[in-house]
Amino acid sequence: MSAVVENTEKVSIEIDGQTVEVPKGASIIAVADELGIDIPRFCYHSKLSAPANCRMCLVDVEMGGRPVPKPLPACITTVAEGMVVRTASERALKAQQGVMEFLLINHPLDCPICDQGGECELQDLALGYGRSVSRFVERKRVVKDENLGPLIATEMTRCIHCTRCVRFLDEIAGTSELGAMHRGEHTEIGTLVGDGVHSELSGNIIDLCPVGALTSRPYRFTARAWEMTSHAGIAPHDCLGSNIELHQLRGRIKRVVPRDNEAINECWISDRDRFSYEGVVSEDRLLAPLLREGNQWHEVDWQTALEAVANALRDTVDAHGADAVGCLISPSATTEEMALHSLLMRALGSDNIDTRLQRADFRDGTSTEGFPGLETAFSKLDSQDVVLLIGAYPRHEQPLLNHRLRKAALAGGKVLAINPCGFDWNFDLAQQAIAHVGELPAVLAAVARVVAREKGTTEPAALAAWKAPTTVSSETIEKLAVIVAGEGKKTILLGALAEGHPAGAELRYLGALIAELSGAGYGALTPGANSAGAWLAGALPDRRADGSAANGLDAKAMLSDPRKAYVLHGLEPDHDLQDPQLAEQAFAAAEHVIAFSSWDTPALRQQASILLPLAAFGETAGTFVNANGHWQIFGGVGQPLGEARPGWRVLRVLGNILETPGFDYEAPDQIHAEVKAQAGEAAVARPSIENALTPLDASADMQRVGILGLYGVDALSRHAPSLQATDQAQPAEVVLNPADEVVKGLSEGDKVSVTQSAASQTFIVRFDNRVPVGSFWLPGGLENTAGLGPMNGPATLVAAGTSA
Amino acid sequence: MQAVKSFFDTFLLTELLKGMKLTGKHLFEAKYTLEYPEEKAPQSPRFRGLHALRRYPNGEERCIACKLCEAVCPALAITIESEQRDDGTRRTTRYDIDLFKCIYCGFCEESCPVDSIVETRIHEYHFEQRGEQIIRKPELLAMGEKYEAQLAEDRMADAPYR
Amino acid sequence: MAEINSYTVNFGPQHPAAHGVLRLVLEMEGEVVRRADPHIGLLHRATEKLAETKPYNQSIGYMDRLDYVSMMCNEHAYVLAIEKLLGITPPERAQYIRVMFDEITRILNHLLWIGAHGLDVGAMTVFLYAFKEREELMDCYEAVSGARMHATYYRPGGVYRDLPDTMPKYRSSEFRSEKNLKQMNEDREGNMLDFIEGFCSRFLVTVDEIETLLTDNRIWKQRLVDVAVVSPERALQLGFTGPMLRGSGVEWDLRRKRPYEVYDRMDFDIPVGTNGDCYDRYLIRMEELRQSVKIIRQCVEWLRRHEGPVMIQDHKVAPPSREEMKDDMESLIHHFKLFTEGYCPPEGEVYASIEAPKGEFGAYIVSDGANKPYRLKLRAPGFAHMAAMDELAKGHMLADVVTIMGTLDIVFGEVDR
Repeated sequence: MSAVVENTEKVSIEIDGQTVEVPKGASIIAVADELGIDIPRFCYHSKLSAPANCRMCLVDVEMGGRPVPKPLPACITTVAEGMVVRTASERALKAQQGVMEFLLINHPLDCPICDQGGECELQDLALGYGRSVSRFVERKRVVKDENLGPLIATEMTRCIHCTRCVRFLDEIAGTSELGAMHRGEHTEIGTLVGDGVHSELSGNIIDLCPVGALTSRPYRFTARAWEMTSHAGIAPHDCLGSNIELHQLRGRIKRVVPRDNEAINECWISDRDRFSYEGVVSEDRLLAPLLREGNQWHEVDWQTALEAVANALRDTVDAHGADAVGCLISPSATTEEMALHSLLMRALGSDNIDTRLQRADFRDGTSTEGFPGLETAFSKLDSQDVVLLIGAYPRHEQPLLNHRLRKAALAGGKVLAINPCGFDWNFDLAQQAIAHVGELPAVLAAVARVVAREKGTTEPAALAAWKAPTTVSSETIEKLAVIVAGEGKKTILLGALAEGHPAGAELRYLGALIAELSGAGYGALTPGANSAGAWLAGALPDRRADGSAANGLDAKAMLSDPRKAYVLHGLEPDHDLQDPQLAEQAFAAAEHVIAFSSWDTPALRQQASILLPLAAFGETAGTFVNANGHWQIFGGVGQPLGEARPGWRVLRVLGNILETPGFDYEAPDQIHAEVKAQAGEAAVARPSIENALTPLDASADMQRVGILGLYGVDALSRHAPSLQATDQAQPAEVVLNPADEVVKGLSEGDKVSVTQSAASQTFIVRFDNRVPVGSFWLPGGLENTAGLGPMNGPATLVAAGTSA
Repeated sequence: MQAVKSFFDTFLLTELLKGMKLTGKHLFEAKYTLEYPEEKAPQSPRFRGLHALRRYPNGEERCIACKLCEAVCPALAITIESEQRDDGTRRTTRYDIDLFKCIYCGFCEESCPVDSIVETRIHEYHFEQRGEQIIRKPELLAMGEKYEAQLAEDRMADAPYR
Repeated sequence: MAEINSYTVNFGPQHPAAHGVLRLVLEMEGEVVRRADPHIGLLHRATEKLAETKPYNQSIGYMDRLDYVSMMCNEHAYVLAIEKLLGITPPERAQYIRVMFDEITRILNHLLWIGAHGLDVGAMTVFLYAFKEREELMDCYEAVSGARMHATYYRPGGVYRDLPDTMPKYRSSEFRSEKNLKQMNEDREGNMLDFIEGFCSRFLVTVDEIETLLTDNRIWKQRLVDVAVVSPERALQLGFTGPMLRGSGVEWDLRRKRPYEVYDRMDFDIPVGTNGDCYDRYLIRMEELRQSVKIIRQCVEWLRRHEGPVMIQDHKVAPPSREEMKDDMESLIHHFKLFTEGYCPPEGEVYASIEAPKGEFGAYIVSDGANKPYRLKLRAPGFAHMAAMDELAKGHMLADVVTIMGTLDIVFGEVDR
């Protein structure tokens, strides 16, 4: 499957006159690619299996001095000692020309209206290897199009049956949603059941398609490959920081495509990274600063707005002290914005600044050693022998990290999961423990005990605090823990469910303990794109950028103990905060709520008092530090819409108005350099296991379990229309165990009302026995979950009638 | 002998009188100037003048926003923006030609796969306001409608050569 | 008594005799020129740099605008260089068409030159006669390419379209009698070759008429004879080409010495001068008009007898016909790719030059294998001629500067580029 098989045994072959030593077992095409010799191909892709069905890569081969009677496909012919390959001999060229002619007989004359025109492999190879005039005069074949969903447009008549899309969905996405039907000229690529393609990586088949059969639907007909300029960027949705290219035309981002980086995203990106750019030009962009007077909003210029902000902050500090100011920043803000917010807050005299918006349990504080993240490099994840996922569903949280885990699982690695409910994994878990959300720490403690026993170490005394779990059988724990204690390369990963868990600190503590006992690497799948950057920039209540300790209020404390003024950066209070209910009350009681936002949403209008338009993704330059600690810089593309301005610029001016010393940055690089100098050699650190935690009591009647939806993780993806039209972004439904008591009298499709503190909302019910009794699954970040209480916390369920 | 001739030529102004005779002859010949603008010089069907966008006989605009003309334009005079029209077809939302940039090379017409953008025989036009030199899609289409008969005839006449 | 000091005169850039936008700084001592310092660059459009930013074919139109009185000749040098780089040869018919139009262009150029030179020196009538003839030649330009001046007609691999079978005709109007109209359209009844042949026979009379007006004219001779004499050695050293070099008696003509296209099959003479003064150069250009007619007639003769393609059939370089493009896939792809990306010649560097009306016009291209030139350098004959201005004008009277400028046949499109 991989390009050049890792094999130390070498064979000597001659290719186009060059004699080379190549690894035994490699395909001719892989060897040629290494040497920079062009062999035309359609079906071959270095990351996919080679089916040799396009026949375009036919080359002339000679073995043992005798020519092979027919040209051979270079993609599946492996090299052998003494082989002589001619990629451009007359016979090879004639064979390639013949194949090209066959491929073109049924290809429609669509180039002028085809989005692939200009970047089409079929065009390029037809020009390079085909005839100049057709001999085919018969009628061409026509294939009916299929609707693959809101992201991918189809024009199946153009398909040349290379099956790259089929193999991608089989081998990489693991969803097998496309297949080839019929034979010969009647071959058609389709879904068989007409259900569309739903994989979270589906957009990659657009890139893979060598012709214009599969194209991007949002980008459809809007630009040509040659007229756009390409800008390197970093995807802002998850802690991988996938490398992307932003394609820009006349100042507007027209599309996003992957940029190869084997260490992070290989050559893929998730649909979220690919299509979220639509949010940048969404209709509800905030285009000018807004001030609230009573219930009226007024558009003002930047000077007026920033003076109002400065006055609000000064007045609050004067009247109530600096501690009355709190600052909440999205974990996907740039390091530069975080650093300036941190400096500004500290200059005002307040340490109340936080980016851990979804965290529920702050008992463990912040590590002073290093930033949260993964000790194991992303690129090493696919060769792990054991991966233990705790409260994580990476398929939705970090789709490409999930792809690495899938590769590990397919290569024989054992992926284990301890989760509060079951998920649709696209690979087989070696062992899974689904516990009631309240019992997750107990399950971890039980696992830790077995690991300690297996390893022959004494059981840490602190473990005694947790009782034995009741919702997971001891056999399951035994099996799982034995694997964790076993040999090999091992990693423990904690995800969003652990982050938002009411006793998250216990999970982090126990996770680190298991890592310590078993000798595994530890990793936190941090929320947002830049949680590591937040630590480095000191945008935390207990750590300043220079590394000095502080004692501010964390995100939760700031809201449960209301402040007089809040600064919000890049977040939507009804989705992005751990408890939107609590936040709403706190903001209502505050004198000033200053919101930096790229979008103008009803919730912000209701809860904020000053709205500052922020340049959105792509429009601003900055740095993201991913969970492996890669500092990735990106530039801005085009002009921000309307009056929106990059955050660092706005903060710089605000700093000047507040007469804060040192605010004279002219470019984000200067801020970057400053943060980097202060950060020094900081690296990923795991939570401390020195101070044991005592368990919380989490035994409510009914517990809600959820993470932010695949396309609801941040404001940008929530404002991208095409992503919002996908199945994954449809209104949330309550998923219950059919055996649950509250279910009595309910059937699937009925309505149920969910109440969390003051908020209540009605949802449709679905049954799934992978959700433990006593809890229900309801994700966040979706339109109908806005403003509810914590995603992981108690809730009341009441039947609300049957659906029509 | 030559010297003698030359001596007499010098004061008899022979060569000047020969010249006067020639110009005198032309004075009484038929004039070859034209009574412009009532009368105009012949124009080739290949003439490359002001641009126009054509329509199909059923009224549908020909242009499919393939942007070949925009790509091939050496002077970057053409600006096109496109989108998917409600009926699913590929169409332009903007088609501007900056006549100050245009060098009238005819490449746009050569590249057009649907004979949409063409150059007409019009070569007498002017602008009165800054900005008028950018002609937009409605004006281009109107031009095409107005001169369609002539345009079709000229393309037909030139078809065997292209 | 006050000493007479030399003083400086700015000749141009807004001067009717400056032939465009030349700023000539003249240091005068009374009426005598002591130093002539040409300041060029007022028409610089960075054509060479511009060509580095676009696919090869897209720059053809810009070549027309270099020496804008010999449009197709500029195209020719550029296109020849590309063909050399690609290693292709245009079909024979295209080569004859190119030769024919090169000579038509030469006549166009020399007619403008003699008209302007006449005006500079004081002869009005020649200008009118010359421009009348130019009209008909520009009709030929228009008939093949659609443009009367900036043709964009030559393409790598041939010419864009074959010669038309009909010529556009004058329409009837209230100012013309039937008889008059018929007479005007007489030459236009047949195909284009008939029209050109008709022109050729009329044109030789016009050349004689111009010579009648000028050659023996005493004023003309007083203004031209022994002005700006260049020795053959000096002419070579100064990098003169074309009539400027031949005027000094050096028999050098690329059409004969380095034949391109089908010039080796043409029968024509190369006129050379004996004194190397402005008068000799005038005589040479007049003779070249007659020689051009001779070449055109041979081309017309050949073209009448030989049909055939005017463009190579390799669609990797030349686009397919419109009919093919509209109904087969291979052709459509080639059309699409050629008009968006063009073609990629192999790496290498080439120089191709032609005998343009003003001298040797050459194009030097460095290719790095991309679809646009890595570097394009144009060798414009006028540039070398302009550089000799000081040497030619020194010691002559102010009025002679105009004559010298005329004899150099300067066009700023190519000097400034």
